[in-house]
Amino acid sequence: MLGSALMIIISFVCVRYALLLRRTDRDNVIWTYLLWLCLALALFSVSRSVGHIAKRLLLLSERGDIWVELRPFSGSINSLTFVIVGSITLFFQRVQQINVQILSDKRAIEKASEELRWLNRNLEEIVRQRTEELSKSEEKYRRIFEGSMDIIMVLDPDSGFLDINQAGLNILGYASKDELIASATLADLIVSPQNPKDLLEEIAAVGFRKDLECKVLTRDGENRTWLFSLTARKTTDGEAVGFEGIAKDITHRKKMEEQLLQAERLASLGELSAGVAHEVNNPLGMILGYTQLLLRTEPKDTQNYDDLKIIEKHARNCKVIVEDLLNFARSSETQKGVLNVNDLIHEVISVVDHQFKLDNITIETTLDNSVPALYADGEKLKQVFMNLLMNAKQAIEVQGQIQIVTDHDSSRDEVTVTVVDSGSGIPPEVQEKIFDPFFTTKPTGQGTGLGLSVSYGIIKDHHGEIFVQSTPGKGSTFTITLPVTFDEGEETG
Amino acid sequence: MIIRTAKRNTIWVKIFSLCCFFFFWPGPAWALQTHPAPEGLYAHMLAHVFFIITLGIFTYWLHSTGLVRERGWRLIQLSCFMFILWNLDTFTVHWIEHTMTRDMFITTGLDWSQRLAMTGGWRSWVYYLGKFDHLLCVPAMLFLLMGLRHLYKETGTARLAQHD
Repeated sequence: MLGSALMIIISFVCVRYALLLRRTDRDNVIWTYLLWLCLALALFSVSRSVGHIAKRLLLLSERGDIWVELRPFSGSINSLTFVIVGSITLFFQRVQQINVQILSDKRAIEKASEELRWLNRNLEEIVRQRTEELSKSEEKYRRIFEGSMDIIMVLDPDSGFLDINQAGLNILGYASKDELIASATLADLIVSPQNPKDLLEEIAAVGFRKDLECKVLTRDGENRTWLFSLTARKTTDGEAVGFEGIAKDITHRKKMEEQLLQAERLASLGELSAGVAHEVNNPLGMILGYTQLLLRTEPKDTQNYDDLKIIEKHARNCKVIVEDLLNFARSSETQKGVLNVNDLIHEVISVVDHQFKLDNITIETTLDNSVPALYADGEKLKQVFMNLLMNAKQAIEVQGQIQIVTDHDSSRDEVTVTVVDSGSGIPPEVQEKIFDPFFTTKPTGQGTGLGLSVSYGIIKDHHGEIFVQSTPGKGSTFTITLPVTFDEGEETG
Repeated sequence: MIIRTAKRNTIWVKIFSLCCFFFFWPGPAWALQTHPAPEGLYAHMLAHVFFIITLGIFTYWLHSTGLVRERGWRLIQLSCFMFILWNLDTFTVHWIEHTMTRDMFITTGLDWSQRLAMTGGWRSWVYYLGKFDHLLCVPAMLFLLMGLRHLYKETGTARLAQHD
């Protein structure tokens, strides 16, 4: 009896604790499971113990017949409670798995919720920080972009400008990005290679092109040489959606290289010319000398006299050419002295001014009075200025203007003489040949092609430089630089 | 529609014919099985076996899931062991009782009281000792209570720690 009573009491206390456990967390399925298990065990205890107690009480009250009737029910209920408790027990693993899953999900949700709350609390600060970082990054790259001395550009798929840095704008001669974007694409500006669109298509296909030399047209119509590196900007599907380019303006370097090449070529030609001139000069002198001797003894009205005169005339022409060649080759004697270049220019102008005015060509001078004296061969420099003026006159043809400017660059201690004409200009393919001996664009018989060659030789003989800048249709500018430094060793030439 | 109604009528005619056949030619009625006295005891003993198996599985799961590392679940596992022992005990007593004869008991005059004659050898001794099954099931229930109480206390401590 005591055992049965204890079973009932303890089982109900178990139910109470299971209930308390469940109250702590109603969502915990394990506690729910334990409650069901305790309830089943309480039922089992009641069925078992009540059976025992009822049996005792009925037998004590001599109602054994009732117990005989009840006994099968008591046993059956008891068997049923075993099965119920056992069945509930079998669910444990599934319940435990569900609980683990629920707890895992709960933790994940709590974590996500916590993160969300944290983000919500700190969103403003995070956005501020990110914006600041982004702003710093943007500023850094913008500084690199804008401060670069090279040209940096961003293009759309059709080579239209999306952005370009200040260096690019300066070199291309545009006042603002908007002006450039509105007026031209990169393909429009590329002069060489001749099919820029094909080139861009190739880059879009390949992905990039490095160290590509291009000639680009500026707003002022000047051709600049760029060393280009262009990269295609592609989507994940490989479709080109634009280009990014970096270019270095190498116009100056290119010009220097060309000048150096030309100087080397002219030096070779000079050596050749000097050799030929020396060899020809002596026999020519002999021809001229004997011709003059024969002329002295020959009566004037004879046929022989006229023939000898023709020989003398052509021999003298040849002599002039040979002397020009020697001047070009810097092999002729120079008579250097201290002189003022402005005076030389005035002398030359006084000679040609009258004729030029008749041809409607005006000469303007902007001469710097602070130009120092030079140690040079005045006659030869006058020959150079004369050559340049004559060339300018021929380029102007009908009516125009010639401007002569002198300047002193004290930092380099150089005197610069610039002769600007408003003539027809020189085509680019001709510019590199104009200092070559015997190169002329004039009809045969109207020029020997030695004028500029001789000028080049004379300036080189004075350790100076002569170069030309010309835009077809807009005229040409010849610039001569002469060093001021006195070279004592060259006094006698 | 007419064709469908005709088909349905044919099916009913067939079912009716089959019923008539079984009614007029009956055989022995063996289908329903009767359940005489020992089946109840066997069912009860099989319930004990089922209870043992499920408790064994529960004990194994408690071990394999690592829950027994906590004292509360360890006590519940101990409770399961005790219930398994109780089931074995009661199963054995039921089986021995089924095999014992009336002469192994001495009637004391009161119908509800019996004494063992101890003439059954080891069976009488096992039967006698097995009758003290409360010594197994009460501790089993007590361990369950202790386990639950411990779990409840631990849960309360954990909640307090969370609030702190």
